[in-house]
Amino acid sequence: MLLRCRIPLADFELDVDVTFDARVTSVFGPSGSGKTTLLDAIAGLRKVSAGEIEVNGRTLFSSARGINRPPRDRGIGYVSQEGALFPHLSVRKNILFGANRDTYGKSKDISVNHVLDVLEIGNFLDRPVTKLSGGEAQRVALARAILSHPQLLLLDEPLAALDVGLKERILPYLRRVRGEFAIPMLYVTHDVSEVFALADWVIMIRAGKVIEQGAPRAILPSHWLTADPEQSQVENIFDAVWIDADPKAGRTRVRLECGREIVIPYMARPKESSLQVRIRGDDILLATHRPAGISAGNVLDGVIRDIEIVEGQAIIKVDAAAIFTVRLTVGAVQALGLAKGRNVFLIIKTRSCIVL
Amino acid sequence: MIFSFETWQITLFSLSVGLASTLLILPFGIALAWLFARKEWPLKSVLETIVLLPLVMPPVSTGLILLKIFGRRSPVGHWLYERGVEIVFNWKGVLIAMAVMSFPLLVRSVRTSFAEVNPRLEQIAATLGASGLRIFFVITIPLAYKGIVAGALLAFSRALGEFGATILLAGNIPGETQTLSLAIYNFVQLGKDPEAYVLLGITVALAFLFVWCSEWLLRARGNT
Repeated sequence: MLLRCRIPLADFELDVDVTFDARVTSVFGPSGSGKTTLLDAIAGLRKVSAGEIEVNGRTLFSSARGINRPPRDRGIGYVSQEGALFPHLSVRKNILFGANRDTYGKSKDISVNHVLDVLEIGNFLDRPVTKLSGGEAQRVALARAILSHPQLLLLDEPLAALDVGLKERILPYLRRVRGEFAIPMLYVTHDVSEVFALADWVIMIRAGKVIEQGAPRAILPSHWLTADPEQSQVENIFDAVWIDADPKAGRTRVRLECGREIVIPYMARPKESSLQVRIRGDDILLATHRPAGISAGNVLDGVIRDIEIVEGQAIIKVDAAAIFTVRLTVGAVQALGLAKGRNVFLIIKTRSCIVL
Repeated sequence: MIFSFETWQITLFSLSVGLASTLLILPFGIALAWLFARKEWPLKSVLETIVLLPLVMPPVSTGLILLKIFGRRSPVGHWLYERGVEIVFNWKGVLIAMAVMSFPLLVRSVRTSFAEVNPRLEQIAATLGASGLRIFFVITIPLAYKGIVAGALLAFSRALGEFGATILLAGNIPGETQTLSLAIYNFVQLGKDPEAYVLLGITVALAFLFVWCSEWLLRARGNT
């Protein structure tokens, strides 16, 4: 894919020049950095002042050659943040809305039933879309886009409108879509954990400029701070393998890559199956002595490797076999006398460990 | 008997010409409302203002303008006359007067309901391969239809109440151009109050019915 475009916006100019070829490419950056504008430009919903957009070797836009295909001729599937289902049509009619379009030489190798199976939509096909939950609506929007046989699937923060619990239930569907259908995806998000959970490649943009691109683990810091504390994230994401689970106790043991075992909420999985665990940096407590009589399922000993003070927040790296990033207030750091080299204990509630 | 032949004749004439005028302006009104709601062009506001003028201008003034346009001595009127079409002082004059006077109400109501349709839905439909026409008829119109029906009802009621423009363009000829409003005026002038009251009752009942339907539709629009 080739993406080179300039779009003047109110505060700045969106200026992007990237080529990439990944199954799932994430466009990552804070709100207002021009991510949605970029997707709109690719889909042809927005004027581009100059540049070139090419998908699968097919030029969609080229200011030099005077090409500007209309949205309906671009072969782009677009899932927007709010789903944008047609409210007066049933789920079935929504899903089939684009199913008959020309496919630009690509065979219609995706069957309706396959999509319904993957996204588990079959049992509410005839419901009006106004009676769907947020998660169901997003799955329908996904199915509708996939069944239009696109060359590229654009996903604009499809999980942003959902609350946390629901997010974690929709992510697996997105992973299944990635695995089942050979459609490249461009996934816009400002959530680091979604990048790690889905993307093979990430393009970081800020104020309309690409600041870096590469494999997520190579270029994304575990903490991502922006001027808006609401958007700032400190994430710990670990690859892990399933060891055993106890449904009565509601717990599962997993082994992190570094060899450490931790306890996460109960989930049935095949033995040794791999998974990803996310722990927010805000959900970890630090103690200077080993705590006793505490309900948290995980108490890990470690050493402080680094303390970084950013905008009144302390970002602390603790080496407990793996590096854990914890966010505390500067006040807490002072009260506990935390410093580099100090031995500490990480306290992590079982329920704060989320499987992606 | 209160409902004389004349009463029936007048009511039926008003209703049928009113209906015809509403049907006549409907396609134009919808098209123009869509342009106003979705497109931008230079001097758009000038056209918007012109369309709205009959709403605020004295109807008699509008009637006089129409008379000047369609009178036999004007180029337009002359051209029509040579082709055997005469507008002034017959039912076609009533039709034109009603159409012109109710047009702004239709456009305004439909425009609002188009503006309330989320443009994102139309954009998404386009990315799914839909043509402009398909988007218009399968997405935009169905989502705006309540506003369109309400606008048509309003226009129809306005057409029935038309007086000033009609009397100038079509005159007040019993059995030929006399609508409910004109007939009431006529009866009062002639001192035939009972006849006027019967027609008054009919106009109140019709107006109530239409406004009530229209309001009900506009309220229900929020719930779709």
